[in-house]
Amino acid sequence: MLNVNELENRYKKYKLKSYTPFFATLLGVAVATIAVSFFLLYDFDSKRDLKSKQIVQKQEIKKEDYNASIIALQSDETNKEDNQTEEIVQEMPIIEEEVQTIDEKVLLSPSLDFIKNIKPQAPTIKEETIKTLVAVEQKREALPQKKESNAEKKDEILPPVIEEVKESITPVEKSSSIDIKRRDEEDDIKHVIKRFNINHNPALSLFVAKKYYQLEDYEQAYNYALATNELNNDIEASWIIFSKSLVKLGKKEMAIQTLREYIKQSNSSQAKQLLDEILSGKFR
Amino acid sequence: MKPSIYENSRDVFLDTVNAKDYIQLERISMIYQALKDSIEKPLKMVLLYGKPGTGKSMFLSKLYEDIASRQDTYLYKTPVLDESEFFKTLAQDLYGIKYDGELNFTQFMKVVENRDLKEAAVPIIMLDEAQLYSTPMMEKIRLLSDTRKVKFVIALHKTEKEDIIAKEHFQTRIWESIKLQNASSSELKIYIQKKLMKANCVDTASMFTSKSIQKVHKLTEGNYRETNKLIYTLFDIYLYYAQNSPNKIKKSEISTKIIEMAAIHTGLINA
Repeated sequence: MLNVNELENRYKKYKLKSYTPFFATLLGVAVATIAVSFFLLYDFDSKRDLKSKQIVQKQEIKKEDYNASIIALQSDETNKEDNQTEEIVQEMPIIEEEVQTIDEKVLLSPSLDFIKNIKPQAPTIKEETIKTLVAVEQKREALPQKKESNAEKKDEILPPVIEEVKESITPVEKSSSIDIKRRDEEDDIKHVIKRFNINHNPALSLFVAKKYYQLEDYEQAYNYALATNELNNDIEASWIIFSKSLVKLGKKEMAIQTLREYIKQSNSSQAKQLLDEILSGKFR
Repeated sequence: MKPSIYENSRDVFLDTVNAKDYIQLERISMIYQALKDSIEKPLKMVLLYGKPGTGKSMFLSKLYEDIASRQDTYLYKTPVLDESEFFKTLAQDLYGIKYDGELNFTQFMKVVENRDLKEAAVPIIMLDEAQLYSTPMMEKIRLLSDTRKVKFVIALHKTEKEDIIAKEHFQTRIWESIKLQNASSSELKIYIQKKLMKANCVDTASMFTSKSIQKVHKLTEGNYRETNKLIYTLFDIYLYYAQNSPNKIKKSEISTKIIEMAAIHTGLINA
């Protein structure tokens, strides 16, 4: 007599075994199809475009960030922050437009969170901005050191960007959307002082002098301007701050004498202008 | 459908060699006719060969049944392997001479040569499973056939490795060789259905569709013996289901599942 139940079990096992190669083949074909379709249909060009756009975007943002920081610094110095704000306001929509275009083109885009971060940060000068500025100044400093022997190019030593930015500054009051807030300036100065104590870079001491001058701490401004002059006596801005600090400390005569000496040496127009202002009583 | 129909159908496919179960198929009929004709020709030996299960034994049985009534014919379904016993058996059957002691080939040859066949026709000796005879024995059979006082019809297996016809004892003989082969799919359908109808199992015969026959043919490669075994087991399974769980079987056609189950049981499918 046949054991049909046992035979049924053997039959089930046999069917399962016989379908295994079929399923394996099916799975293989499915995987191969997915892989082939991925390679055929996936738009690598758009990804490449996206990457290049992102790189350009990043570069622009960095540039912008840098420009903003420079503008902010200069505006502090000159009390003409309005222009800077307007410039940033003008540049911000461009970034937003670019981001939108990228989002429309490609679905699989990497995180663009940094753009969100830029919106509130752009007008605000943070520690990173100062670092960038300092780094730039360091680079600039390296350039004159190499060319110290070349006396004709001494005028080019000062950062030209700062000069250019001064002209484009617009009043901050006109900008309704962005406020430039200065926080942690004391911390920033301390940080820069720390770095100056390590590498005795005159650019850093000049920066500190300017900052202290802005904060109306004229004694410290005088000290750091003096330190800057000792390290490099060809920096016009340093002599200007030095003289201004002397005036503010009530040492007008000493300031006049210093400026005259410096003008003799450098024939600086800014120094002359400041001297005239002190002598005429415009600058007190 | 009563369970007994499956039982009857199953028993039709019991693997027995019975001339009554012989199924007339067109190609087989032609081969059978050729074999019959060759028997009537003045040939010394007729060779019937093919793979196991191709119907050689059935052929010999059918031939024996057909010609035994009109011609002196002797069928040995199982080989007599002892030489003395073989010759003693032949002496007894052919000439009615009984030997109590040993009878060697030389003695038997003398008996054969002394026989006068003027009035009587040449007796026919049919040897089934002749591949079991030793080569010296086959040489002696050849020498016996050379006397033309006895005719041999030899059925043996043909394997892939050996070429039977190339064997020395068949090379120089005047003989007819008939090769039997497995059935084709259509032949197998006729074979199965004729077999069932012969036993009045019309209902089960109609259950074999072309699809189920193709499945059976694929499994058995048209080998009659394998087919008999498979169909026997198939109806055994049907009988079980009919008795225990009739809902599991369809009565309209043979289930492929049950064919495969039968094939697993008979070893045609290695599961």
